[in-house]
Amino acid sequence: MYTSSKKPQEGTFLWLLKIVAGLLIIIILGIHFYVNHLVAPGGLLSYSDVLAYYQNPIIPIMEIIFLVFVVTHALLGLRSIVLDLNPSQVVLRWINIGFGLIGVFAIAYGTWLVLFVAAKGSGA
Amino acid sequence: MKNEPDSTNFLRWFDPRNRNLGTLAFILNRITALGLTLYLFLHLIVLGTLARGPEAYDGFIKLAKTPVILFGETLVIAAGIIHGLNGIRIALNSFGIGTRYQRQIFIGLMVIAAGCIAIFVKSMFFSH
Repeated sequence: MYTSSKKPQEGTFLWLLKIVAGLLIIIILGIHFYVNHLVAPGGLLSYSDVLAYYQNPIIPIMEIIFLVFVVTHALLGLRSIVLDLNPSQVVLRWINIGFGLIGVFAIAYGTWLVLFVAAKGSGA
Repeated sequence: MKNEPDSTNFLRWFDPRNRNLGTLAFILNRITALGLTLYLFLHLIVLGTLARGPEAYDGFIKLAKTPVILFGETLVIAAGIIHGLNGIRIALNSFGIGTRYQRQIFIGLMVIAAGCIAIFVKSMFFSH
């Protein structure tokens, strides 16, 4: 059966990071699904519910950690799929740059949004 | 002849004919990964409505509670559960744990996934 064996161009650190990030995501995603789809009245949090939810200081921290790990895992996983297609070194270099930029932008934007919502709820 | 994934032909991943269980697990992992990655970035964009105030966000939530979008949300939750549980098997096997029993582990985890998905479907479609 399929196991996540390290690919020659993947590197041990990135391979391990992908797996460890994946395992951490399972825990936080479980909480995320539970709060947003099982606990929330009507199935999804309203604007005021989101603001109230973010007043617990653990939540913004948890969401930012989740964001970092989920973006990292997603882009490393996508890169791993690309590696299965045997890209040339030139293509891979551009993919590394592109995925790196997308990752940094997504994490920066998501972190700003989390902090914005947390500040909005506290009336800052 | 086994229909194994082919690094030279991306579309063969999506061909379900003559697959063994291991290859189906591999394809399931790949397809859910691609779907979840696409959703992740769409989710980040849509959550930007939070910065535009309650009217914009609650308007989106109203849309998100329509049956078509709820069905899409259900697919995302199903993909997340399947990818996560299948990922536990892959992570364990990558460290040499349970490699002899990965077929049984996969089937067991997918049964758990089906149960979890059923709970979410019941909650999202029949409890409100």
